[in-house]
Amino acid sequence: MKTASLPAAAPVRLRTLMVGTLFATAATFIGFLALVSLYVQQRQQARSGGGEWFPSGSIEMGPAGMMMATLLMSSVTVQWAVQAARADDRPHGWMALGTTLLFGTAVIVQFSFVYQSTGFEIDAGIAQLLFYAVTGSFIVILVAAMAFIAVTALRSLIGPLDTDRGHAVQAAALFWHSVVFCYFLVWYVVFITK
Amino acid sequence: MTMTDSAPVAVTEAAAGPEPAGAARWVTTNDCRIVGRAFMAVSLVLGVGAAAVGVLTRVERLDPSAPDQILGGLNSWFQMWTLYRAAFVLLVVLPLFLGLAMAVVPGKLGADNLAFPRAAQASFWAWLIGSLIVVVSVFAGGGWGAMDGVTAAERDAMTLTLLGAGLVIVALLSGAVNLATTVISLRPAGMSLLQVPLFAWSMLVSAVVWLFTLPVAAANIVVVYADLRGRDPVAFGLPESPGIWGQLDWLVEQPAVYALAVPVLGIAGEIVPDRLGIRLDRRGAAASIIGLFGLLAVGGWSQDYFTAPADHRDELLYVGVGVAAVVVVLAFCGALADAARRGSVRLQEMPSSALAGSALAVVLLAGATFFGALRVIKPFELLERSTTTGVFNAVVAAALIGTAAGVWHWWPEILSRPPSESRGRLAVLLLLAGGVLLAASDVIAGFLGAGDRPFVGDYDSGAVGGLNAVAVAGSVLLVLGLIAAAAAVFETMRPDRPDGPGAGDAAAAGLLRGAGS
Repeated sequence: MKTASLPAAAPVRLRTLMVGTLFATAATFIGFLALVSLYVQQRQQARSGGGEWFPSGSIEMGPAGMMMATLLMSSVTVQWAVQAARADDRPHGWMALGTTLLFGTAVIVQFSFVYQSTGFEIDAGIAQLLFYAVTGSFIVILVAAMAFIAVTALRSLIGPLDTDRGHAVQAAALFWHSVVFCYFLVWYVVFITK
Repeated sequence: MTMTDSAPVAVTEAAAGPEPAGAARWVTTNDCRIVGRAFMAVSLVLGVGAAAVGVLTRVERLDPSAPDQILGGLNSWFQMWTLYRAAFVLLVVLPLFLGLAMAVVPGKLGADNLAFPRAAQASFWAWLIGSLIVVVSVFAGGGWGAMDGVTAAERDAMTLTLLGAGLVIVALLSGAVNLATTVISLRPAGMSLLQVPLFAWSMLVSAVVWLFTLPVAAANIVVVYADLRGRDPVAFGLPESPGIWGQLDWLVEQPAVYALAVPVLGIAGEIVPDRLGIRLDRRGAAASIIGLFGLLAVGGWSQDYFTAPADHRDELLYVGVGVAAVVVVLAFCGALADAARRGSVRLQEMPSSALAGSALAVVLLAGATFFGALRVIKPFELLERSTTTGVFNAVVAAALIGTAAGVWHWWPEILSRPPSESRGRLAVLLLLAGGVLLAASDVIAGFLGAGDRPFVGDYDSGAVGGLNAVAVAGSVLLVLGLIAAAAAVFETMRPDRPDGPGAGDAAAAGLLRGAGS
């Protein structure tokens, strides 16, 4: 009896992309947490000396809260993409990933508004410098997450959302959720407690 | 009878197409061994350069009253002094371990490649570009701060140094993520994490420790960079003071400096029993010790720059971590000693460079942790003394010796031919002598009151001057050891000549090694 040539069975592997993303997410989060810790420590030091951190009234709460709401909505849409990937539902998957990207873009636009409305000079003091360092780093992380989402969406165009690509969507969603949590830190530490 | 038309591997090779040759192979390859070799080759070259910089700074210290005889001034001396430290961490030791692990670990796990081969290639090129930026910018007047005023051009060069260091950190993190994912995801089904080979386990622990350490350094760099790029530096990027280095010096101090040496335990834990022909008793305990040492090496929390005048290093946690590191490494030494007792050690025979190197690396590391423990104990007041550099040098030397032992032991995964055993012994001996002389002179000078930055503060005595001369000899030996190791590795890294000595494929080479051991 002769059989057709068959490839070897695929080895049983843990979800490689998920594990890698988990490590990358942890590294990103630790770096950002270090930055926020530095911000809090310097603010504490400035206040303990009786000084003012930001000039009163220089930071508005409205745009910051709107960004938090936008990112929370993006968490829902990215999870929608994960669900669509599980169900191999490409139209909904693209729509969900596209909406997530739209929300990400909206946050960047809102940050540009915040920068204009505060009008801080980066060399005006430690508070202003750290304000730009923390929020600028957040924007870099957000752009990286958007690139991850965009690549995942493009990969899903070339075929069905099978198991591997489904894992890619889950990995992108994991990173996105961590970005939303990073913004939560910014929102609470920089904007709420000022 | 069941027949198959062709082996699956043949199908795979046909689909992959011909492998590019020459330089194109180094740029386009997805082979983890080639990427690992590339990491190791470049970091060995950078290691020789960094060690040579160390010689210059040591020679300059011989006359503390005139720090401008060779390097041309206090700023130049400080640039080289910081380059020596930063380069050994970011450009030499971490990439050496990454390269060794990229070449060796997948094979140990039964995988044919890393989890993300293209990411490994990207991490190498990003690291190489970042390293070149760091080196060029430092020689253009950059670095991590200055001691005697700077020009606008030097300030720009400093921002370039920070940019390069940031790129290097991102690249190393990418490589670490790749390795950690490989160990977790590509190990054989049914093999628990504690059952993976000790070197692979130690690299997983190291990768996690680096993931907890390097991002914190990156955050420091972001703040300094933002300040330097602002119109007038506010607080963190004042280039006229050594404050920029002050924000990063925790990387070369305890406990973070031990993150450089976690893989040494894994290398010794595999090589010593293997060369003695026995199995390590209580292997799970050895793996736990490596994990514990990794935990003690997480050091981002201990930086003192931002908390001044309060200092975490005066607290019980810092002292406890410093003392616990000795206990942990001594426990591992005990496990190795037990293996030597049960194994077939014949004192009349010269041990192989792999066996001697891996064992001596652990002993040197134990010495480093011992002096590190003395450094953190309050009555000695050694935190700002040259003991800090002594511990750093001992850890670096242990890491270099451990890597050399790993290369000589796992050469079929890395080299084309077996490296010369006599050159291996010579390299280990020179690195050990250099490391011991450097570490001992700095540690003793610290007890005599020498500061970590010798041109600052009060220090000078005949004894310290003599110790500086010993340190010069040690740093020269370190250069020679690195040159000996690099020469042996480069000679055997080239592809086989069909008619040359030692010609043959990797399988034949493996048989040779098996017969030799």
